Amino acid sequence: MSIKWANLVLFAAAAALTAGCSSLGVKPWQRNVLARGDMQLNAEPLTAAVDDHMYFSKEASSGGRGFAGGGCGCN
Amino acid sequence: MQLKNIPGCSAGLSLVKSKVARRRLIAASCALLGTTAARSQDAGGGTADAATAAWAVDSALAYYHESGRITAIEPIVNVSKEFADGKTFSAQVVFDSLSGSTPNGALPSTRPQTFASPSGKTLSGTPTTYTTSSGQLVSESAPIYSINPGQLPMDPHYHDQRLALSGDWGWPLTRLLTASAGGKLSYEHDFFSVSANAGIARDFNEKNTTLSFQLNDEFDSLRPIGGAPVAGSDYALFQKGGGKSKDGVGAMLGLTQVISRRWLTELNLSIDRFKGYLNDPYKIISIIDGAGNTTGYLYERRPDTRTRKSLYWENRTAWGRVSAALSLRYMTDDWRVRSDTAQIHVRWWNFDRDRFLEPTVRWYRQSAADFYTPWLDSTAAQIGYASSDSRLGAFQAVTYGLKYGAKLDDADLQTSSQFSIRLEYYQQTPDHRQSAPGALQGLDLYPGLKAILLQVGWKF
Repeated sequence: MSIKWANLVLFAAAAALTAGCSSLGVKPWQRNVLARGDMQLNAEPLTAAVDDHMYFSKEASSGGRGFAGGGCGCN
Repeated sequence: MQLKNIPGCSAGLSLVKSKVARRRLIAASCALLGTTAARSQDAGGGTADAATAAWAVDSALAYYHESGRITAIEPIVNVSKEFADGKTFSAQVVFDSLSGSTPNGALPSTRPQTFASPSGKTLSGTPTTYTTSSGQLVSESAPIYSINPGQLPMDPHYHDQRLALSGDWGWPLTRLLTASAGGKLSYEHDFFSVSANAGIARDFNEKNTTLSFQLNDEFDSLRPIGGAPVAGSDYALFQKGGGKSKDGVGAMLGLTQVISRRWLTELNLSIDRFKGYLNDPYKIISIIDGAGNTTGYLYERRPDTRTRKSLYWENRTAWGRVSAALSLRYMTDDWRVRSDTAQIHVRWWNFDRDRFLEPTVRWYRQSAADFYTPWLDSTAAQIGYASSDSRLGAFQAVTYGLKYGAKLDDADLQTSSQFSIRLEYYQQTPDHRQSAPGALQGLDLYPGLKAILLQVGWKF
């Protein structure tokens, strides 16, 4: 598959996903649970930073929730 | 949501002389940052910064210890602020201090083995004499170390320190469009890294859906101790040059979706490509003959490009006093490493919702890079890419952890802070062990790794 076709498929998938997501969700006054600190995607940034550094230096994989690298000569 | 209005730090400072040390630190931090410390307390028992909150300080001290190997101490401080106009800022300082023993890549042997630390220029224990560029005659003893039969070769003199700084900004462009930018600096005595990132996020569907796109650019400069070895060269010849570099670019497409009142999901698709010097300059490979005896060593040689792709999916849900986070990640690269990662955190709050327990389990599995080899055959006609770095081998890893947190409210200063402590155990178990020839049979060629992590944190 050429890069052009791959881009088209990716764009179509993103558009379909976004359209499908339009039926999901809550009203603004229904966000009390979502506003909890432990419901935030980056609820514990320092714990995540320590974990990422440990796994980055001991495994061949890194990143996912953010960009890998950024400073460690250990891998 | 109940918002506590906080008096200014000048008022807080009037109290500190007669109060406990914790209050002094809070007030001092306020004075340093020139602002107040406001927090919001939500119905769910967690804390979240209010939109108009002042500086939030998050700090941690981590202790990491590998059985028989490395010990690291890592303090981190993060300060962040959400401005009334929707702009956000955060800055983070990390310092690492590492020391101990680290595998050099060679195999155990039935005979004693002698190696030189990276700054060494010879495997001989006798001092070497040479003339510097200024004409000075210098005599140096080689920093060598010996490994007993059957022991995994490790450099016992490993030590390193790292200072990393990072900053991130975010600002709304319109009601639904947000831009972000950030940068990182990291310095070690043999490594320097600088990176910058920029992104944009767009909300849809009454802010229940967010699409984001981020770009990252990184440049790394390596100045290995003793110089960067010529990749694939004979270890005994000490063919080393000057510094090296590598650079990388990355992109990430993210989708965040509110599924229901109790369910939030995030999907990230990321790709990055690095090129340049991707070797570990301190890793070597044993050359083994048919009888299993070590006949020499070569410096490892990796490709000079690497492209990684990953898919990351995280879900968060909460029911009453319980919340959970489940994340899955699949990664693949053109070194033929494939990995799967699954992690779950479950947090239980007590009845008053001021203390919690959070057990964690993480499972990880990776396949080996296509050039990974525990040793080289002495009869091989030609050596291509090769590395015996166990981090590029096939293995599984599990992490078990437990975290305890307690909210500490101070009625006098009207502040809320949170103390936490966590303990984790990490274990790597190698997969797909090759059968060893002759004398190597019976030796532990795949020792794996066991480590503990202890972290205490305090945020206010």
